Amino acid sequence: MAGVARPIGILAQLRLIAALRWRMTWNSLRRQTSRLDAAGMAIGGFFGMLMVIGTSIGCAAGTYALLSSGHVGLIGLLYWVIFVFFQVFPLFAAGFGRKFEFRSLLRFPLGPRTFYLLSLGYGLTDFAAVAIVCWLTAMTIGAWLARPGMVPAMILVNAVFLACNVTLERLIGSWLERVLARRRTRELIFALFVLLSIGGQLIGQVFARGNLGGWATPIVIKIPSYFSVFPPGLAGKGIIAAANSYGGGIALACAGIAGYVVLFGALLWLRLAAQYRGEELSETPAAAVARPAATAMGATAEGRDLRWLRPQVAAVVRKEARYLRRNTFLLMNLLMPVLLVLLLSFQLGNISRRRPSGSLPFKGISAEMAFPGMLAYLLLIAAAPAYNSFAYEGRGIQTYYTAPVKFRDVLQGKNLFLVMVIAIQVALCIAALALRVGIPSAPRFVATIAGLVFSLSGQLIVANWSSLTFPRKLEFGSIRNQRASGMAVLMLFASQIVIAGTGIAIFAAGRWFGNPWLPAMVFIGLSGATLGGYFASLDGLSELAEKKREVLIEALCR
Amino acid sequence: MAELAIRTTSLTRRFGALVAVDSINLSVESGQFFGFLGPNGAGKSTTIKMLTGLLAPTSGSMEVLGLDFASRSLDIKRQIGVVPEGMGLFERLTGAEYLDFVGRMYGLDRATTRQRTAELLDFMQLADRPKALVADYSHGMQKKLALAAAVIHRPKVLFLDEPFEGVDALAAGALKQLLGRMIENGATIFLTSHVLEIVERLCSHVAIIHKGRLVAQGSLAELRAGVAAGGDAGPMTLEQIFLSIVGREGSAQPNPEELSWLA
Repeated sequence: MAGVARPIGILAQLRLIAALRWRMTWNSLRRQTSRLDAAGMAIGGFFGMLMVIGTSIGCAAGTYALLSSGHVGLIGLLYWVIFVFFQVFPLFAAGFGRKFEFRSLLRFPLGPRTFYLLSLGYGLTDFAAVAIVCWLTAMTIGAWLARPGMVPAMILVNAVFLACNVTLERLIGSWLERVLARRRTRELIFALFVLLSIGGQLIGQVFARGNLGGWATPIVIKIPSYFSVFPPGLAGKGIIAAANSYGGGIALACAGIAGYVVLFGALLWLRLAAQYRGEELSETPAAAVARPAATAMGATAEGRDLRWLRPQVAAVVRKEARYLRRNTFLLMNLLMPVLLVLLLSFQLGNISRRRPSGSLPFKGISAEMAFPGMLAYLLLIAAAPAYNSFAYEGRGIQTYYTAPVKFRDVLQGKNLFLVMVIAIQVALCIAALALRVGIPSAPRFVATIAGLVFSLSGQLIVANWSSLTFPRKLEFGSIRNQRASGMAVLMLFASQIVIAGTGIAIFAAGRWFGNPWLPAMVFIGLSGATLGGYFASLDGLSELAEKKREVLIEALCR
Repeated sequence: MAELAIRTTSLTRRFGALVAVDSINLSVESGQFFGFLGPNGAGKSTTIKMLTGLLAPTSGSMEVLGLDFASRSLDIKRQIGVVPEGMGLFERLTGAEYLDFVGRMYGLDRATTRQRTAELLDFMQLADRPKALVADYSHGMQKKLALAAAVIHRPKVLFLDEPFEGVDALAAGALKQLLGRMIENGATIFLTSHVLEIVERLCSHVAIIHKGRLVAQGSLAELRAGVAAGGDAGPMTLEQIFLSIVGREGSAQPNPEELSWLA
């Protein structure tokens, strides 16, 4: 057969794929929702840029200070911060633009080397990668200002360190994606994560209280020296060697980091080679266990009869409960606020314990401050999923439109379930706070609870609107490229800032007027108003859902 | 004339400059097994989406079971069942949980929902994997589950968008059996399909849409009469009728001279 396709070079393929990504991003802006999303991302990107600029100045100033004050030994800490940020941040953040699964390119005559380079290229397009390039550049500028002679060594160390970070980040990402594709492993890792969080806290407490056993102390003291053999430690050593004009030390440090690059690169090659051979990264099918039909129906008995609800609302509540149970990441998100509140209460308790005893109660911090602050913090995190509440519906969204149900029932079901979950979280936090810092005075307690009702009902109005207007599909079992629409995130921040500002002003007014019950009364009044507003909004939101059905179906049925 | 189950008047849907469905007037009588045919991109799915409330028409009106869709959409939805394009399943539920959810959404009481769920899962041969999530089902199993969900509330009109696409012969047999039983009980079925043999075997009436316009409508016999060339080659198959009508409406036939480089 004549005219078989000629092989093209790696560079030409990479260029083609870069053009493809650009074209996909550009074409996605034709849709209004994508344009709004892009606008949201641009605003978020602006603040991200400010953050990067600010921290870069900090890096430059820090490097300058360390090098000019003779404390160069501490520069390894800067590398550790950069290293941890780069390895952790991409797990929680996602790239801009429509999700693009580069594995799908494997159907083309793409060589393994091109595939490998593509994967590494992806590592350099993350926000985190741009940030650390800025920070490492800033450190080089700081070195140039302090000791210009160190700049070549700094550039060399930073370049190898950057390569090491990118390779490791891709390695972790690809392995996590592989491991977390299996439901069972995901659950195991989640359990380990929770255990580690709690374990870490307990160890932290032992350290904070100075109760370390005599046998453990020498081991703990040695731990930092073990860290020096890791890439950030080696980078620090390289800079120290450069400060001492010790070329051998620089070469040794760079060789060490380069060794890590080779190791991580080889492991990444193995991982990507498996993908290249056609490994399927998807949910492992559940084992088929034959059972009689009667037992099959037993599965539906899980949902207790919510007789006090309309059947449609109850059906949505039960469905939400089942989805939550099967979504490890969502479960983790729901447990995190409670864990973080516990963590904060430990930290604050330790800080205040170090102070000379004053007016604070026995357990450390004042419950009057901690109680509203921590419950507000809990709500800040726990209410976030409501702003993209159809994220996991997928094609199921069509069922809501074909069934004889008004969207007010769907929204009520979803909101009610979230409220029930938050109520459990609040109860757990109150119990934890009661143990750690005590219960505040009655006026503060009532004001906090009423404030929570006000905040949650107010946020739900905005969140429902945001869910209908800026829907974004999220996928089970995937951690990369999973983020809400940029506009939904902006809505979340904006409404939380407004509500937090209102709350602070109300508490300040109570203090100003010397009336401890004033905030409680104001919050109760506001709660009544926002609850009324919430129920009044449902019909309008139902109409909006009808108008937005094409947007929702298109966004979620992809 | 029998009561109309579906009637559209000048039903139109535009996507920007593209007119996907152009002023179509459809009439489907109660109890008919109605096939809605057309080439790719002709406007079949857009029409079915409008008829089931998944897409708003740009202009025109729709009546289902004598009720105006614009003002009585909820009353209509209570009486219709839908297998939409892509099936619309909640993938993180088990089959039983999904049917339970749908039954409750359609207002069935708990006992009825559970009983029908068990019967439907049994009939569709989906009962032996009670813990499997819909996401883990094969394509054919998902189709069967989607059909089970569409009929759980015993609809009077059933809308099916490509119900046999990607379904093996065994699963297709179960689907046809169920659809036949519904027709016997007086239901109306409106389906789109690319498989003309199936449509010919199942449907009593057919409409053909092409480039957004309705180009033919009637019983198979009426369509045959409309395009008959007068030869003695016997009755025309639906495929011949389809090609004849769509070709007559200006669809370019592929020129064998083109793509010579493939030879």
